[in-house]
Amino acid sequence: MDVARFLQYIALGTVYTVGVTLIALPSGLILGTLFALLNVYSGKVVKWFTSLYSTMMRGIPPIVLLFILYFIVSGNINLSPFWAGSISLGIVSSAYQMEIIRGAILSVSGGQMMAARAIGMSKSQAIRNVIFPQTLRLAIPPWSNEAAIVIKDSSLVYALGVPEILRRAQLISASTQQPFLAYAAAAAIYFILVFVTNRLLDALERRLRIPANP
Amino acid sequence: MKRLILLVVVLTLTLAIVGCASSTDHLAAIKDAGKLVVGTSADYPPFEYVDEVGNTTGFDVELMNEIGKRMGVTVEWTDMPFDSLIAAVQEGKIDMTIACMNYDEERDKTVDFSDAYYTSEDALVVLEGFTGDLTDPMNMANYTVGAQSGTTQDGWITDNLVTPGLLPEDKFMRYERVDQVALDLQAGRIDVMMSDYVPAQAIVDQFGGMKVVYHGVLSTGPLNIVIPDGDKNLQAELNRIIKELQAEGFIDDLAVKYFSE
Repeated sequence: MDVARFLQYIALGTVYTVGVTLIALPSGLILGTLFALLNVYSGKVVKWFTSLYSTMMRGIPPIVLLFILYFIVSGNINLSPFWAGSISLGIVSSAYQMEIIRGAILSVSGGQMMAARAIGMSKSQAIRNVIFPQTLRLAIPPWSNEAAIVIKDSSLVYALGVPEILRRAQLISASTQQPFLAYAAAAAIYFILVFVTNRLLDALERRLRIPANP
Repeated sequence: MKRLILLVVVLTLTLAIVGCASSTDHLAAIKDAGKLVVGTSADYPPFEYVDEVGNTTGFDVELMNEIGKRMGVTVEWTDMPFDSLIAAVQEGKIDMTIACMNYDEERDKTVDFSDAYYTSEDALVVLEGFTGDLTDPMNMANYTVGAQSGTTQDGWITDNLVTPGLLPEDKFMRYERVDQVALDLQAGRIDVMMSDYVPAQAIVDQFGGMKVVYHGVLSTGPLNIVIPDGDKNLQAELNRIIKELQAEGFIDDLAVKYFSE
């Protein structure tokens, strides 16, 4: 058995893992931020709706949502496993990211909004120029947790047949009967991905930290 | 062989929600496209597996490639977990699946089958030092048993041993893949592994320290290619080519190559 070849085969799955993450995480951020703003600043009905969305999406295991989207919703649309998987994970992640952003918005003290309004800013100006820039900074640490979770959850798309790291490790484990080698390789790759991502986000947080904020 | 359990639920749901997928003429569509999208679960050597360079290969794969060639199209392989295959055929995600599957009534409700291309048997595998008696497969009731989930073996054990109350539920372990069953047999967590005979023999050869104590047709039988429900043209085309390949001895040669029969 050619170990180097097999390891290379598993490592090539990283392309899919990173691809799924790069679609799911930003789309979750955009959707999550939008919902968080709506949830905090809009009327009762929208607030209720966004809360319901968040509760539901966080209450469904990602793999179930994945199956629903791929086999049921996209039954007649020709959505590839890769896109179905990425979008599903993006939807799940958007609910968590909504909570992260919402928490960050609420942690900016209410007095700032009043102060901004007092100097003549409109509500949307105040959100754009005063609240939101602080929100994003505050959201980085919890967001880096979410980034790690999405990277790890990307392994779920194997269930639809996307040849990412985990699925490749399974195939190698089946054909070589060397599960330890295959799964250790997969674990090492995931670890490196998560570790590097967290380090980068830590650095970003340090750079952007507002000096007055401890 | 491999049988559906969990996905039947999903499938029923799928059908209920989406409504019956239109059984259009896939054969014409496939020939127009010039490619045939075939699904398999490449974790079942020697029927389908990944070789050193990452290519999908095996008995089923080589057979299907030849069928594609005779249809005048290229075969594009899609790998997915076994449990997802029938749903994928039904939803048109893939044109067909060849994955060491055999006909069974439950599956027949949602998909169709080609004629048989090979006949498979079941095997019971134990560790070398096993001293119990398994000449009658029903004796599995006295041991801890393992099988791959969603397979016909899983179905057979459930129907014949678990449901009648002969084998307690907690003494029957279901695994996602067959190599996991073998690993647990090796680790001593189960006493008997039930699987298809050919993959079982491959596992015995590769793992060592195991033996096949029984083989015969219990849950298995003819292997078929699974196609969308009601697709008569495609079925006829496949059956014609399978018959041709059997007559030429192509399938027997493949069996010798992969199963060293």
